[in-house]
Amino acid sequence: MIRFLAGLILALAVSGQALAQPVNTGHLTAELVSETQAFAPGQTVHIALRQQIQKGWHTYWRNPGDSGEPTRLKWTLPAGWSVSEFTWPTPHRLPVGPLVNYGYTGEVLLPMTLTVPASARAGQSVTLTAGASFLVCADICVPEDGTLTLTLPVAAAPGAPDAKWAGPIAASLAAAPKPSDLTAVFEKRPGGLALAVTGAALKGADMAEAYFYPYQSTVIDHARPQIVERGPQGLTLTLTPGYDFQGATPPTTLTGVLSVGGKAYEIAAAPGAPPAGAAGLGPPPARVAGGGGSGDLGLVSAAFFALVGGLILNLMPCVFPILAMKAASLAGHGGGAHAEARRQGLAFGAGVLATFLALAGLLIALKAAGSAIGWGFQLQSPPVVAVLALLILAVALNLSGLFEMGTSLQGVGSGLATKGGLAGAFFTGALAVVVAAPCTAPFMGPALGWALTQTPIAALVVFAALGIGFAAPFVLVAFAPALLDRLPNPGPWMDVFRKALAFPMYAAAAWLVWVLTVQAGSDALIRVLGAAIVVALAAWLAGAAQRASALGRRPLALVASAAVLAAGAIFAAVGPGYALAGTEGAAATASKAEVPYEPYSPARLAELRAEGRPVFVNYTAAWCVSCQVNDRLAISTKGVAEAMKAGNAVYLKADWTRKDADIAAELARFGRAGVPLYLVYGADGSDGVILPSILTEGIVVKALNKAAAKG
Amino acid sequence: MDVNRRTLLAAAAALAFATPAFAAPALGQFAPAFVARDAEGHVRSLSDYAGKVVVLEWTNSGCPYVGKHYGSGHMQALQKAAVKDGVVWLTVASSAPGMEGYFTSASARAWKAKVGSHASAILLDGEGRVGRLYGAKATPHMFVIARDGRLAYMGGIDDRPYSDPESLKGAKTYVADALADLKAGRTVAVAVSQPYGCSVKYGSAD
Repeated sequence: MIRFLAGLILALAVSGQALAQPVNTGHLTAELVSETQAFAPGQTVHIALRQQIQKGWHTYWRNPGDSGEPTRLKWTLPAGWSVSEFTWPTPHRLPVGPLVNYGYTGEVLLPMTLTVPASARAGQSVTLTAGASFLVCADICVPEDGTLTLTLPVAAAPGAPDAKWAGPIAASLAAAPKPSDLTAVFEKRPGGLALAVTGAALKGADMAEAYFYPYQSTVIDHARPQIVERGPQGLTLTLTPGYDFQGATPPTTLTGVLSVGGKAYEIAAAPGAPPAGAAGLGPPPARVAGGGGSGDLGLVSAAFFALVGGLILNLMPCVFPILAMKAASLAGHGGGAHAEARRQGLAFGAGVLATFLALAGLLIALKAAGSAIGWGFQLQSPPVVAVLALLILAVALNLSGLFEMGTSLQGVGSGLATKGGLAGAFFTGALAVVVAAPCTAPFMGPALGWALTQTPIAALVVFAALGIGFAAPFVLVAFAPALLDRLPNPGPWMDVFRKALAFPMYAAAAWLVWVLTVQAGSDALIRVLGAAIVVALAAWLAGAAQRASALGRRPLALVASAAVLAAGAIFAAVGPGYALAGTEGAAATASKAEVPYEPYSPARLAELRAEGRPVFVNYTAAWCVSCQVNDRLAISTKGVAEAMKAGNAVYLKADWTRKDADIAAELARFGRAGVPLYLVYGADGSDGVILPSILTEGIVVKALNKAAAKG
Repeated sequence: MDVNRRTLLAAAAALAFATPAFAAPALGQFAPAFVARDAEGHVRSLSDYAGKVVVLEWTNSGCPYVGKHYGSGHMQALQKAAVKDGVVWLTVASSAPGMEGYFTSASARAWKAKVGSHASAILLDGEGRVGRLYGAKATPHMFVIARDGRLAYMGGIDDRPYSDPESLKGAKTYVADALADLKAGRTVAVAVSQPYGCSVKYGSAD
């Protein structure tokens, strides 16, 4: 009888059906499965505990997190047989109220290695028995037990793979965290516990969802977000230290699983300073850019946004003086000079387009070469700002009548509509683009942000669309005789208008000088002002030369000295490097601001988010006019100050007046190529929410209140 | 003077209540002040026990881990010995209404009688204020506050993070050891351990 039963069992087993009875313990069904249909003496075989967990319930990983208990097996094995511990698959995070557990839902296989003794006798069957204990939890927890068995024949040769389980067990083992050659160090800092991991496997990995699952349950606070910063050789996670770091003997090692880019590695971190290659590239790009983001704009919509943005850019304050100048020039073509007006309109449009494309090309090339820059980059360089200030001053002096554009005096007396007007119109278009950079129009931010992540051709298309939008109003007016005819006729009033227009240009020059002092400190002030005086002198000499030659003389000396002086002024402005302004100045302004702020750094932001405080980040620059306007009208207000105080929020200012790779990376992460960008992080450590680029106090206060309520 | 001190303590308690974050207290620092109503309807404040050793025990009558310690009589014995030594033992129930282990004063009194608890009081913390203040994660999660008001121990009740009553055999009961260390005037040898058990059944954060 027994023989018969044994034979039956053997027959069943050999037919590929391991005799393992699934056991339903209440909220899950468990069974033992094997990758082979038989065991051979001296062989090691992978077997696994399979759990099918009821929907809404979960079981636990080896470190269960804030509560819970790992699944356990207690084996009863024949003499000589042995089974390893589980090869735990990478767990999932399971939030329970304010706590976080680590475990599994649905179906999971926990593989083990079975060692068959050499003394096992072929031809018999073996039954492996394990008492399984599970803690199964939903919002309540139920400890469940079951006795599981696995019966398989012992065969002389290794058994054939089990048709049903060989694949899944191999897959589970392949996906399980592997010992790695990654180097890991940890360091307790005031802002948290920095865990830096470097190694070849991390180069270029997608780090957006990187997470460290510790083996010990008291080394980190599981419920706190882990803030990721990328580096060229790896990453740094900012963790919240757990209880163990409060004890008399803080941990000397941090072991666990690093899950990154769909792979999982076992790591063992020793105390030490993080290597340089583990940080410096900012947080990973957001997978899907949050509200108002631009990650998924197509070329057509990006180009359309750029076109609309370019049109609106005409209404922004940066370009007013130049456009007014252009308007005056067009007015000069009222009456009969329609053909000339068209040519000038086209020249202006060409100037705008050429400059946009040149800037875009330079930007793309510099980015490709590894510079962390974005839109408005040209204004981050003190020499460029200084030269631009001198250029605007020269334009202003020209408008004031100190000298004339063009080498001949034929144009004098006919306003701006000189014969050399085509070059002038082209130049005006170029100048309008260069000074437009400080302003961002609505729609422009997402469009340019998208453009700079695309191929150079797509990026150039978007920039061209922006240029077309920007130039369109003037070109169209130039091509509409009806409109031209409605402009007032040329006359003496134009000279008065032109001289009046000089004053906004002087103001623009003064503003650029201020930007320069923010960038390069007060030492730069005397230098640029000195250069400005020289430019004025050169302009005056040039004017004198022009008047002299109008009288038929050849004022070579005057022309030469004007040229030398102008060159000298430019050289002084560009010349030996500017000292970078210290941060002390910024700190001093910080303390007396109406809404107190701290300078931004990725580490500080990570720290505050880990602390669970709402954070408002203002990405701004001194040269960004839109930023300054928002600052005055919508941020530095009493209402915002009160909302910050009430929500225990912190105001971080990311100043992009000068180049800053961290800030450029963060802008790119939110799909932007430049400032302004306003982000509000919730008290629950959630991702940043983007606010519109034209702000009102109400928008900021509302966002702050919402962020505080998330805690 | 006395009035001033009381005002200060009340202010401290009010501040604690206003803190929305789930903050963990720190070992060796003053234990966060709290005020809570007990099962008998008395208002209990941590400041009432200045100069005494205080044990905080987080509980949930439906939790199997709590069941392991009460079903075996282990928890009651620990309470009895501690209270005899002059320790104040406060059992805190932070389960939210509708969640497993939620206590009204009547159900708390009935449970206390049924299990034969020797705790000095059962605090009704259905809003989870005291629980969040201490960062209580599990039931049972234990805290021991020294006579000087500083946190001397926090973590699990022992070194056996299992629900199986068999696991009690040979367990190292950290809380008993901490109390013994404090009684003898020694530094607490194991001051931090892994809290284990069921998660505290807080209501959804609002």
